[in-house]
Amino acid sequence: MGKNHYKLLNNLEQYRKKAGLTQEELSNEADVSRKSINAIENGIYVPSTVLALKISKIFNCKVEDLFELPKN
Amino acid sequence: MNFYIRFLMLFLCGVVQVFFAIHLLLDLGILQLPSDLMFIPGILIILTSTVLVLSYYYGNEGINNKLYDEYAADRFYRLGNLGYALNGIGLFIIFSIQDYQNWDIQIASNMILQIAAYAWLVFGVLLIWFAIGDYRESQHG
Repeated sequence: MGKNHYKLLNNLEQYRKKAGLTQEELSNEADVSRKSINAIENGIYVPSTVLALKISKIFNCKVEDLFELPKN
Repeated sequence: MNFYIRFLMLFLCGVVQVFFAIHLLLDLGILQLPSDLMFIPGILIILTSTVLVLSYYYGNEGINNKLYDEYAADRFYRLGNLGYALNGIGLFIIFSIQDYQNWDIQIASNMILQIAAYAWLVFGVLLIWFAIGDYRESQHG
């Protein structure tokens, strides 16, 4: 897990890099600004359900692979 | 509409509001205030809001997905809340410090100017804050 929001752990950066995408390219595919992707990756912002589903669709994985709740 | 134009419009609104607030608070004497010139900050806000609303509903969808995405909305919401909170506290203080024993039209008039100056200052600073942060993040964030 990368840098995380206290309410949500995320693997977005690893998945993005594995897919060979820049933040800009991912943001274009997800119809959001690059700063949104950057903010999610750095644990500054928790994405909406729609955005989380869009991103998981882009990477062809489950939402749970990208995001998970903290243990405590 | 793009990030730069939005930055320019919001920054201009913010700077004008801060200028009018400081002018009233420090009585700078550059403009003849109070006067009809005090409509300028409000007219700028109405024009800017109109342009932003029109661009939201009728602008290019691809650009709007980025300009008006959920992170920008979250940022705007948090700064707006801060503005309302500061305005509430400020209004409470302004109402509390008035001399109601010797209340007259001059004191009432001064109070209205204090309220206007305070609201302009708070929302002007927040508009500048949002505009700079929004544009900087769109480039380097």
